[in-house]
Amino acid sequence: MDTEKIPRVLVVDDEKGLRVGTGRLLEMEGFSVQTAENGTEGILLGTREDFDLAIIDMKMPDIDGIEVLRKIRKSKPNTVCFIATAYASYETAIEATRIGAFGYIPKPFSPEELIQQLNKGYSQRLLLLESEKLKKEREENLLELAGEKSRLNAIINAIISGVIVVNKTGEIVYFNHAAIKNLNLDELNIGDRYEEKMPQKVNDLIEEIISSEIKTQKSLAIQIEIIKPNELIAEIICTPVLHPDGSFAGVVLVIRNITEMKKIEIIKSQFISMVAHELKTPVAAVQGFLNILIDDRFNIGYEKQKEYLSRSVVRLSSLLDLVNDLLDISRMETKSKKREIEKLNVPEIIDNCIITLELEIKKKSIRIIRNTLQQECNLFADSNEITRVFTNLLSNAIKYNKDKGSISINIEENKNFIIARIEDTGIGMKPEEKDKLFQEFFRAKNENTRGISGTGLGLTIVRRIIESYHGKMEVESTYGIGTAFTIYLPKSYK
Amino acid sequence: MALIAIIDDDPDIIEASTLVLQSKGYDTVSASNPTDGFKKIMELQPQLIILDVMMEEPDDGFFLAQKLRRNKITTPILMYTSVSKTIGFEYAAGEMVPVDDFVEKPISPDELLNKVENLLKKK
Repeated sequence: MDTEKIPRVLVVDDEKGLRVGTGRLLEMEGFSVQTAENGTEGILLGTREDFDLAIIDMKMPDIDGIEVLRKIRKSKPNTVCFIATAYASYETAIEATRIGAFGYIPKPFSPEELIQQLNKGYSQRLLLLESEKLKKEREENLLELAGEKSRLNAIINAIISGVIVVNKTGEIVYFNHAAIKNLNLDELNIGDRYEEKMPQKVNDLIEEIISSEIKTQKSLAIQIEIIKPNELIAEIICTPVLHPDGSFAGVVLVIRNITEMKKIEIIKSQFISMVAHELKTPVAAVQGFLNILIDDRFNIGYEKQKEYLSRSVVRLSSLLDLVNDLLDISRMETKSKKREIEKLNVPEIIDNCIITLELEIKKKSIRIIRNTLQQECNLFADSNEITRVFTNLLSNAIKYNKDKGSISINIEENKNFIIARIEDTGIGMKPEEKDKLFQEFFRAKNENTRGISGTGLGLTIVRRIIESYHGKMEVESTYGIGTAFTIYLPKSYK
Repeated sequence: MALIAIIDDDPDIIEASTLVLQSKGYDTVSASNPTDGFKKIMELQPQLIILDVMMEEPDDGFFLAQKLRRNKITTPILMYTSVSKTIGFEYAAGEMVPVDDFVEKPISPDELLNKVENLLKKK
């Protein structure tokens, strides 16, 4: 018998003597006893409280014992019930056990007989409680597991990388939506063979993992152009999944959309090869001359030698300009140069730019026309950067102008912007040239631009400076007539 | 002596190449863009064409080479390249690009003369 807990017994009997006698006997044996004097009371008590044991008299005036048993069993299935009767018959015993009585106690019974039966019944009760407890725990675990699983599902479906799990026999056993998207598949189903759905190169990797003798946690990765050209590029990482005991379970594939990253990479490498080309061009020219100058076989005269040297100097100084422009762009990109924001007067800055360009202006006999009405047009910005903008624009207006042409400069302001317009009477641009104007290294090449030097980065720098101040720039141009740049610079920059 | 056409947009390269070729007695003619180059080649029928890979546009030298071949000009073409892998195209001699040989800039006089001599001999 359980010593820690006192077993609780319900005695349902219409015979008072028996109720009292049984109660006393059981209390002496360490049971706690409650009694009911008829069927109605028995049902009431037996369904309200969870007794360990119940002894139910078969014959009662109101409700018979079988009905009481049925009701208690239904409400408290773990209460171990006994049927007691003086009119013992084989049929009633069968009927009682059929509807769930644990035992059958024939009346009259000896105390030993009763105690023995109840002890057996109580052991059964403890077993029932234990199994109920286990069942409950198991259910709770399952519930938790289901919650964990759906949470995991939600997480895996929410991530933008595709996930596919292939088991060791090559069947797809798990995937998320992003996998279908990143591989541009029409559909994917649990149970599909991976070879029928994956690109060949991915199949090779999965095959390699599945067939390899030694399974390590090492991943294999591959980049594949899913939609050409460069429309969808995916990176697929295949990793073997091992059971806790180290045996091989399958392969997990993580599919990332790396299209944007790849596009940036392509633009960068194109830029680098353009830079390399631009840097190499003057070097090649200078080296071409030096190869001739150093080689006695060519035996060129003094005048020619001087000409080649001075042409080399020109090429080297344009190379230097190019390197400086590239450094400026790089500084702008990395923002490594600290800005000194101060109050600037735009007409004054333009005047200073004109002074530095005076030699070029005189060389081509260009007339400068200032249409600015106001003497003051203030702007908060970095003086070096704004000077660079106007120097580059004015220098272009001179370089691409006709001899004896003119440049009109107009500065005005509205509530938010300083608007500067620089218009030349130069060679202008063809529409297709205008479209490429802001491309790095683009320089219009035609019969009119021969002999004009430049790095091809001037307007790139102008645009980057203006955009960094959240300003904008407009270009109008007519081939053979001239070009006008209008820039809008916000007055205050934060 | 053979007439060699040099098509390159860099006047300094034309100058140096011309001087090197003339030192060996070759006659030269030059053009600084694909359009003029095409005209001069059709008109003067040189024995060899030296063509820069990139003039006004990336790979326009390559397109001029294709245009010449389409016009049944079988004259050997020696292509000047600056960055061997330019934008978009990768070159292997003969494949894809209808030229006969390449010289990478900066040009060494000996390499240029050797290649010119070989191409003229082949013809």
